[in-house]
Amino acid sequence: MNNEETIQAELVKNFPFLDGKIRLQRERRIFAEVPADKFLEIFTYAHTKMDFPILCTIVGLDEGELLSCLYFLAKENGIILSLKISVPKETPVIKTITQVFPAAEMYEREVVDLLGIKVEGLEEGRRYPLPDNWPADQYPLRKDWQQ
Amino acid sequence: MQLLQKAVQWARIKSPWIIHFNTGACNACDIEIVASLTPMYDLERFGVLLKGTPRHADVLVCSGPVTMQQKERLIRIYEQMPEPKFVVAVGTCSCSGGVFHDCYGVLGGIDSVIPVSAYIPGCPASPEAIIDAVVKLLNSLEG
Repeated sequence: MNNEETIQAELVKNFPFLDGKIRLQRERRIFAEVPADKFLEIFTYAHTKMDFPILCTIVGLDEGELLSCLYFLAKENGIILSLKISVPKETPVIKTITQVFPAAEMYEREVVDLLGIKVEGLEEGRRYPLPDNWPADQYPLRKDWQQ
Repeated sequence: MQLLQKAVQWARIKSPWIIHFNTGACNACDIEIVASLTPMYDLERFGVLLKGTPRHADVLVCSGPVTMQQKERLIRIYEQMPEPKFVVAVGTCSCSGGVFHDCYGVLGGIDSVIPVSAYIPGCPASPEAIIDAVVKLLNSLEG
């Protein structure tokens, strides 16, 4: 499992709908676009069975009509797999990955606060990183947000 | 009585005790403040001691732009200091907000929340500038 091509082949073998969606950008970087409803299975499989123990970060993006999340999984020898899911901006709901990876709660709270993506399954908690008295539906990192 | 007043005034000028507080800074100014207290730049030769509580302090040395989360904490610390008290704003972010001037969640420099006696520009403010500002503050009390 230490080669980009074998990782790509293994993912396509187990999840045939990913054929054509995986891109080997350059040495040690793999990008994959994943449909949002199958994402938790693919993440669990990659994290537990394909030996990607590190979740580097979750990056939220505002792409006009869609809000996307990029999950960066890394191996000890330096290979990074980026999984991207997209949800429509009117009803942005994604599922939490904290039952598989508890520390992702911090990244998910950040995406909830700053971009307004709702995460199903995340427990109620305080705001992070915005201050406690921030008004309820203002999302500073959306492209169309004014002060 | 007059003599007692003068003695108290002399004591205040010759040993100002400080409390250091960070209102949301990147920590560079905090490192420079702590460095200026070490024997290399030696702010302690002016009688300055770094205390752990605002109730023992005369001067509040503050770095960082005031964020919305820190505003009420800063006001609480300022109100816990006994009179007469002074505030020194270290770094460009404390003077006017610096690079974070119009960001969401930032209110601006420290003087939007509490009255400031001395401003030290710089990013980060160098220890020589911090010493210069403390000396100027002490000289202005003598008059």
